[in-house]
Amino acid sequence: MSNIAGKAYAMNVITPIPWYKVWLNRLIFWAALKIPNVLNGLLTLSLIHYARWVIIPRDKFPRLDPSQPKEDLNYSYMLFFSNFNGSWDQYVDSFTFAIPSGLDLFWKMNVKYPKSVPLTPFHNYIQHNQIDTAHYYNAYPMAASNDVKSAKNVKKALIDFNAASSNKSPDEFLEDYNKLLNQLQNDFGEMRPTPIVSLAAQAVKERVMEEQRQSH
Amino acid sequence: MTQNLDLTDIQGNIVKAYGSSGFFKARYLFLRVDDGDKGRDFVGAITSKVTSANEKLKGDDALTVTTNMAFTYAGLQALELPTASLVGFPSDFVMGMSKRKDILGDDGPSDPKYWDKIWQEKVHIWISINGKTSDVVEERYQWILQQIKATGGVTLLRGHCGEDGNGNAVDDLPYQDASVLYEKDGVTPTAKEHFGYTDGIGDPVFDGQTNNAARVIGRGKLTRSGDWVPLATGEFILGHVDEAMEYPQTAPRPDLLSNNGTYMVYRKLHENVGTFNKFLDEQSKDYPGGKELLAAKFSGRWRDNGAPLVHTPDNESKAEWDKKFAAADDATQKRMLTDFTYNEDISGAKCPFSAHTRRINPRGSLEYGVKDAFHTPGALVDRRRILRRGLPYGKVKDETSDKGNHGIIFMALNADIKRQFEFVQQQWINYANDFKQGNDKEVLLGNHSSKDPGKVVLQVEPGSGKPPHFVNNIPRLVETRGGDYFFIPSIGALKLIAGGLVDPT
Ligand code: HEM
Repeated sequence: MSNIAGKAYAMNVITPIPWYKVWLNRLIFWAALKIPNVLNGLLTLSLIHYARWVIIPRDKFPRLDPSQPKEDLNYSYMLFFSNFNGSWDQYVDSFTFAIPSGLDLFWKMNVKYPKSVPLTPFHNYIQHNQIDTAHYYNAYPMAASNDVKSAKNVKKALIDFNAASSNKSPDEFLEDYNKLLNQLQNDFGEMRPTPIVSLAAQAVKERVMEEQRQSH
Repeated sequence: MTQNLDLTDIQGNIVKAYGSSGFFKARYLFLRVDDGDKGRDFVGAITSKVTSANEKLKGDDALTVTTNMAFTYAGLQALELPTASLVGFPSDFVMGMSKRKDILGDDGPSDPKYWDKIWQEKVHIWISINGKTSDVVEERYQWILQQIKATGGVTLLRGHCGEDGNGNAVDDLPYQDASVLYEKDGVTPTAKEHFGYTDGIGDPVFDGQTNNAARVIGRGKLTRSGDWVPLATGEFILGHVDEAMEYPQTAPRPDLLSNNGTYMVYRKLHENVGTFNKFLDEQSKDYPGGKELLAAKFSGRWRDNGAPLVHTPDNESKAEWDKKFAAADDATQKRMLTDFTYNEDISGAKCPFSAHTRRINPRGSLEYGVKDAFHTPGALVDRRRILRRGLPYGKVKDETSDKGNHGIIFMALNADIKRQFEFVQQQWINYANDFKQGNDKEVLLGNHSSKDPGKVVLQVEPGSGKPPHFVNNIPRLVETRGGDYFFIPSIGALKLIAGGLVDPT
């Protein structure tokens, strides 16, 4: 098992929330999506591939099959699901320092939430409630979300450029080409394997690869 | 200044860079402890001369030579610290630098197997001597040799590469020499390093370090109102509150062992001067701004006087800046060198995202101009700062060759090696997602590979229609030749260690 696949780390955190406070949390989620700028910080954190908060009411816990007995739960739960770049420590550091009040807002109804600053109690809270990833598939292990965004920019700009400029005279073509490079100047980063952020994760990966080599 | 630090307890190298107080010569010694009892006696003997942050470094009756001491994890084991204390050290420090090579990108020619021989030894103790002249350094060195003889129980380790008295290359020196570089006259000290850059300008300022408000500008942390304030002391010294509003979590027990101490990263970085000069010449042939501007684009500052690129993005603005700089008084000059942020240059058109100083201290610019995105502009930067305490070593004899022993003895001090130094080295030097540049490595320090050399983009004014400049085929310009992680205890803690009195119960 590993929570890391390629450049992504998968985090699943599930925290109890008193069922009678769920509506308040829903209100907060709704407001965060409606009010401009509330999510600016989160969106600016370019290490984050994806983040989602979902509330699971205490009588709506998923069952694999109708024959699976329903659970009798005291609490509703908030599922936080995120994929990000780098290691857990790096992410939690950046997350808390960039958007402490946002985190507090989303989690504050949750049982025993300590606030995001100081860091260690928050760190411990997340770790205590984290569910490790048993299976994790990453189709583009060398891509961080910035790489995907850049690739999309380059693709679109190239297609447009081809349509607009392919029949122009050499001088005009060059001018357009330079403009294209200018427009894309922050989308040319190389895409290569991730730097090794965890020696433990790296050791696991190497052992798995060694086993695969031997079984071939 | 809101903090009153116990300067008599804190080792002097933490609070000040000796180099900027006229201590132009240094020697670094590494020892192995062979016997716990005698080793502790030796630590006690050296402690009597360990320089505190309270000593006077400048002016009349100032010191002319300093001594400081630190330990690896193996060293603390050899000195028989109790296990209950040892388990409190962070895993990065416990492992030491060579085992962290995959994190640090020490591959290819930087691999620990090519390091100076001394790093194959059991390095336990680091002792530094900084002096105003070579003579006082030698004198202090002789004094240390006497202590080794007197107490026994420790061995001074040989195995540094360098030159013997006759200028011949040797690989078994008993110490590492370091020195500022001099003008051609051989007597006027400079702030240069071997690639020709002016160094030693930017260094963080933390609470309690200075009460000179002018020194905080461009060196502390950037606030939302655009002011600079000192960083929390706990970013650099254990036992003080850090930027996360808590005491550093890297401190072992008891408090008396960790308070007022910190961690040091020691790295011997060889500079491939021949390759650098050749690369710069070749690349600047088709660079419109010329060689010196290109060199500045690699570092973020101009080589001759350290002018920040953000305020001098081309030759014209540089000429004007130079005129003002020449006419300015000392205080104004300092301010001109440090008072800037990269928020003045969000696109990177002036100082590219690959520049050394921008990578290593983005100065509150990681919000990319999004208004009030983060809690503070420096949210992603303030916990990644390091104090630099190094000096150049060696001489370049042939500007066209990489051979020889010359580079920088890089020493970084921080409360959390993993969060501060290692993060910067890994995420910002050898990777660039935080700068939206994919895997493009920093030009000067990146661990570029000869088989698969890297490139960077030098941004230009967006919307100008001009193409950015691509710097291709970047070779490995800097190679690691050794190093380790050390714990610098307070002077009080040194006495406890020496007395065998550390008790975490
Ligand atoms: C041979 C290797 C190196 C060379 C030639 C070099 C050169 C320079 C130069 C020319 C400057 C600008 C002057 C100044 O602001 O003081 C600088 C600044 C700096 N360097 Fe290095 N450096 C080297 C290694 C490192 C390493 C390994 C690190 C850390 C991982 C580092 C961290 C810094 C920091 C923190 C600054 C100040 C940036 C600021 O606050 O604006 N340097 N370096």
